[in-house]
Amino acid sequence: MTFRPLRRRRGTDRRPRAALAITAVFFLLLYLPIAVVVLFSFNAQKSLTVFKGFSLRWYSAFFHDHVLIDSLGMSLKVSLVAMAGSVILGVALALGLVRSRTRLGSLAGLIMLVPLVTPEIVTGVAAMLLFKGMGITLSSGTVMLAEITFSISYVTVILRSRIAALNPEVEEAAMDLGATRWQALRLVTLPALLPSILAAAVLVFALVFDDFVLAYFTTGVDPQPISVRIYSAIRFGVQPTINAVGTLMLAGSIGLIGLALAIPRLFGRRGGLDLLSGE
Amino acid sequence: MAQRTPSAPSRPQRGSSASGARLWTWLMLPGTLWMTGFLIASLVLVATLALGTTDPLGNPRFGLNFSNITALADPAYRIVLLRSLGYALIACVICLLVAYPVSYAIALHGGRFKNLLIAAIVVPFFANYLVRMYGWSVVLSDGGPLLRTLRAVGLADGNTKILQSGVGVVAGLVYGFVVFMIIPLYAALERMDLSLIEAGRDLYGGPLRTFLFVTLPATRQGAAAGAVLVFLPAMGDFVSAQLMGGPDQIMIGNLIQDKFFEGQNWPLGSALTMLMMAVLFIGMLGYLRRTRKDEAEATQ
Repeated sequence: MTFRPLRRRRGTDRRPRAALAITAVFFLLLYLPIAVVVLFSFNAQKSLTVFKGFSLRWYSAFFHDHVLIDSLGMSLKVSLVAMAGSVILGVALALGLVRSRTRLGSLAGLIMLVPLVTPEIVTGVAAMLLFKGMGITLSSGTVMLAEITFSISYVTVILRSRIAALNPEVEEAAMDLGATRWQALRLVTLPALLPSILAAAVLVFALVFDDFVLAYFTTGVDPQPISVRIYSAIRFGVQPTINAVGTLMLAGSIGLIGLALAIPRLFGRRGGLDLLSGE
Repeated sequence: MAQRTPSAPSRPQRGSSASGARLWTWLMLPGTLWMTGFLIASLVLVATLALGTTDPLGNPRFGLNFSNITALADPAYRIVLLRSLGYALIACVICLLVAYPVSYAIALHGGRFKNLLIAAIVVPFFANYLVRMYGWSVVLSDGGPLLRTLRAVGLADGNTKILQSGVGVVAGLVYGFVVFMIIPLYAALERMDLSLIEAGRDLYGGPLRTFLFVTLPATRQGAAAGAVLVFLPAMGDFVSAQLMGGPDQIMIGNLIQDKFFEGQNWPLGSALTMLMMAVLFIGMLGYLRRTRKDEAEATQ
């Protein structure tokens, strides 16, 4: 008789068939809606359930639709401004939060968490009331202000863990060598954080560009952000042009996320965006 | 996990010098003031307006008036609130039931494809929320691929509908937010010490017992975090009920939207918003107490 060890393989149990099957079905259902949008954006007919041959007519319809083009342009503008504003405010806030041991620091840390634990509809309603209460006409400017407010938290959360992971002795060494604290920050700390800052910026851009709820409550009439435009279009049934816009936006988002994930590699070190590490 | 510096414990108190403390305060100030001015002030405004009234022209007026609060006792609102809670909770449970096996399979059996598979889950999440919901509503529609397949294999008949029902709304919420459950669960499973599972097996626990008494408790906090991350946006969502549900499936988000846009009763809309926040706040307190208890047990 040969001795059979109790464990056949180190580590975990054998392949859990049920879990793998559920995972397969999950991936199928996850991609099915996106596949439908992409596929039917090339449909020759208006139908969303029967594919009648390949055509680019919905893309052509989109490029001739000035309302949609203007909306896309506005979303682009809003995203760029929100990105710049929230990165400047958010990086400074994160630096202050990690290094400061004051009571103001803990208060600022709490305020920064508010958007993350508040449903967007609440922040949207609140921002709209604030603007209307101050007598400000809703426009692309109010969308920008609201999006910056919301995005500061993302930037701060991402940067905070990175700053905490930095070796403070490098900064101290710079100061021992005669740099002022501000010079050490500007010449040592910020360059070390650059990959994370860029990754956070790309992430904010993508999130703001795709944001719907906040934009919905804070936008004026004309032009409206692309998400809001899509919302009003799909409420009225089949809109194949929306499939084309959706496909283009999907391609853009995937490109941006790829960029955000690739930034740390481009810099040849870790320090970018750990979307998945649960930090 | 963050990379630790080996000399971390011996580091001197950072920012302890007066000039340093001042610099950190100056850096914090603009962002904090911005958020106080735009976010905290606007939330206070909502709370205040909940006690306001509308004048005959429908313009909001501030005041000290509890009619909006008492109006919330209307059974119609109570039904919508309970339905929203129910849909959000069911969506949470389904997300957990779906996300757990998926995270488990990827974290423990994904091998070198782990990161690729998780990225494949995160990427669709970055597609525009409305476009995703729209595609999902096409998939769930009567002539859509899902019902056609179910009918072909005999799991559904011609009368089965998914859209225009509560099932459709919950399906929308699950599709919209399941990624918020997968990420913390995956992180928890990934972080788990696999020798615990081996120990469970060494002690002659079967796969099921090892899972129930070792794996599940070890990832409890990931599941709790995921539940909060799904529940918060699900409670406030109004797109899912609008695209997938009928008029009798509206959620509290739809009510709020209606009061602000169609009904033009902002004080009542504010009161409904505060009601939703109150419900979520109670849920958050429960979560915080639970995690604190877990931490206390873990450190014992």
